[in-house]
Amino acid sequence: MADWWLPRNLFAQRPASKKPERRAIVVTFGGGVRYEDTLAPEGWVNIPHLSSELVPQGIVFPAARHEGLTGHFNSTGALVTGSRQNVDAYGSEPPVTPTIFELFRKERGLPPDEAWVIATNKSFGLMGGSKLRQFGDPYSANVVLPKQLLIKTIKSAVSTNAGPGVEDRQALAERMMLALDEGYEGFGWKVYESGRALSAELRASLAKSLLDYFNDPAAPTSGDELTFFMTKEIMNRFAPSLLLVNFWDIDIAHYGAYSLYLDAIRRTDRLVHELWQHAQSLPSYRDRTTLLVVPEMGRDSDVAGNGFANHRSGDESCRRVWLVALGAGVPTGTGTERPIRTMDVAPTVAQILGFKMPECEGKPLIELV
Amino acid sequence: MQFNAELTGDAAALARTHSELLARLPATVSAFILVELQKWPLLFPPEQQYQRALLDVLSRIPSSELDQSAAGIARIEADAGASRIGERNPARFQDEAQAVLRKRGLFVAWRTEVDGFFQRIDPALEAQLYPADAPRRLIVQIYGREIAVQRDRMWNRFKRTGARVPLDLGGATDAGEFLATVFGAPRSRGAVPPLLNAAWIIEAHDALHALCDSKPSDALTGLSYDRLRSYRDDLTRTLNAKIQSGVESPQAFAAYARSLRITPSPGAMLRADDVLVAFVRDVLLTGNGTMIVNNTFVEWAAAQALRRAQPRMLVTRYGVRDKLKPFSSMIMFSQARPTDHLPVVQDPAGSFIDVEQLSYYVWVNAEKNPAYRGKTLYLFLAEGVDEMLAIGPETGTAPAAKMAPARLEDVCATMARWLDVPIPGGSGRPIAQLIN
Repeated sequence: MADWWLPRNLFAQRPASKKPERRAIVVTFGGGVRYEDTLAPEGWVNIPHLSSELVPQGIVFPAARHEGLTGHFNSTGALVTGSRQNVDAYGSEPPVTPTIFELFRKERGLPPDEAWVIATNKSFGLMGGSKLRQFGDPYSANVVLPKQLLIKTIKSAVSTNAGPGVEDRQALAERMMLALDEGYEGFGWKVYESGRALSAELRASLAKSLLDYFNDPAAPTSGDELTFFMTKEIMNRFAPSLLLVNFWDIDIAHYGAYSLYLDAIRRTDRLVHELWQHAQSLPSYRDRTTLLVVPEMGRDSDVAGNGFANHRSGDESCRRVWLVALGAGVPTGTGTERPIRTMDVAPTVAQILGFKMPECEGKPLIELV
Repeated sequence: MQFNAELTGDAAALARTHSELLARLPATVSAFILVELQKWPLLFPPEQQYQRALLDVLSRIPSSELDQSAAGIARIEADAGASRIGERNPARFQDEAQAVLRKRGLFVAWRTEVDGFFQRIDPALEAQLYPADAPRRLIVQIYGREIAVQRDRMWNRFKRTGARVPLDLGGATDAGEFLATVFGAPRSRGAVPPLLNAAWIIEAHDALHALCDSKPSDALTGLSYDRLRSYRDDLTRTLNAKIQSGVESPQAFAAYARSLRITPSPGAMLRADDVLVAFVRDVLLTGNGTMIVNNTFVEWAAAQALRRAQPRMLVTRYGVRDKLKPFSSMIMFSQARPTDHLPVVQDPAGSFIDVEQLSYYVWVNAEKNPAYRGKTLYLFLAEGVDEMLAIGPETGTAPAAKMAPARLEDVCATMARWLDVPIPGGSGRPIAQLIN
């Protein structure tokens, strides 16, 4: 009876906390990307780092498939739960089956800063956990949406003719910090560090990230660059065992400009490479981390669908993707034509990090575990 | 299921004539037809003809055969509980039915059944709508002068299709002279080029419109992304205001957007009747990126025109798009205040990559359409480039080196002969390899 009215976190099991030896980083080469524009031979020119530097260090599964709805939230939800999801495409509902974050933290009794979702997609606020009675908030991942913070701040900066606009980057950064003080949940963030407020340490980390980001003379301006920056900060300061990094710039394809779509693919390729290099530079990650890189879904084909600009036809081009894995426990310089599904990622991560993954549609990738 | 569609005029008469059929069809199919009939005053003639033909063809199918053909859809509707939807307005019924189909995980199966249903009746429909002796059609796609064309990669998607025709530009290197010669503009520049009299022209900038400004005919349709700037700004402002005031759901926002009646300023369109104004609004609202990227507007508007208006001649002209501005472009519907404006920087190289893909998509869309398939000559031109790509039912695949250079006047004569349009005083000769 009590579980109907007492806060759920009071009922959370708190077994002895044990951080695993291994780390897993799942990167969505995200926003929807076509096989022909990436891993197919004619697409290699767009993914030079993956094709010539990362694939030789690991294993490639060129015949991966996304099954289920071809929207960003549901396809990524399938990645982190191992089961097809059919919830609101705009992210107003959480996944309906337990996520790897919840399963991992619950079984291991780990604190919130052991599992993170850093997402460019602004609708991913509920990606960190289901709302199932046995799981949910007490075990969910921290979720931060850096681009959403940026957009809200810009909106606020241009909403009045008073004060500096978007050209004054220092002022913009200060606005962002102010926004974090006033209530980060307004941006869709879910950070479980200490109740409903950002801890001083975490806030300091984010502040440093944002200020560095804006003070960088190269002035990176894409959402994925900011996501990458925040990911590095979180890795540096918390060294979480489980990370989902959602790159999403590629979805600019919706603007119908093929060159911008290709630019975003090349940027994602570079950021994945830099992320791996960063992991190798940190003692807490070097030699113990497995990186899985996978598009959450494809995009429409030119003839059967509506072309690269969309991903709603459900045709084969929307579903055909690939997966590259490298790092700890992964054979090097190999590949397999064995068909796999994106839903296999979740049970594979479970085996890598050593927690149980009950009742899901995916199967662990035997080549990695 | 009985709907209350509140139809008037021809649409009401058509629904009355086929009331028994509409009641017999699965509710989702019946609702789809009624929603189209509700739009009757804003449909193009080919769309109205399609609805008439659809009801005619369906009504000629014996009842038992029709029931059998639609049984899959009816079964899925029953599984989803669509009969429990009390809504009698067909558009709102559609929304609710789609919602329950998605909720029950039946949407894909339903969609497959609907596709199958229409595939079975398509041959009869197409035979009625697109007879073999239907007139020939022409689609011309032009890359504007400012695009950084890479000759060795031009029309790359058509490597093994069509004929590459060498051109003798005859000194027509600037856009105005090039276009005037290709379309046979009278020397006096006092009248619309005869070839464009009944065409649809859709362009990123307005060089083609400039050829037609003097006395546009009622049959000439022109859409220019640049000339629609104030209309786009008005639309953007209105949508942004709605967002700021709060929207209850994406569906409610879409319904609000569809209901907008914004009038383009004088001169923004060559003609601006209600059907066209609604068409432009829908192009800007339904096409991803059409508000932001000029060439995307051209491609999407062309694809919609091919599908809906089915013009006999369509001319697209692509231009250079601006580079996206950091930060300010992140907020889709808001407009930066003047102090936040960054200088406009053009992207000629990226534009070339874009238009290669977009012009290919226009061709793909035309070839999907039975009105165009097998009856259309496609010409691809780039201003200032002495080569043309031609694809057509009578065109071979001759490499450019095998053909003598054609003058721009010859290109004009080829189009005129294909469409059987006289060009008074025209000096060109049709290119024999492209048409019989």
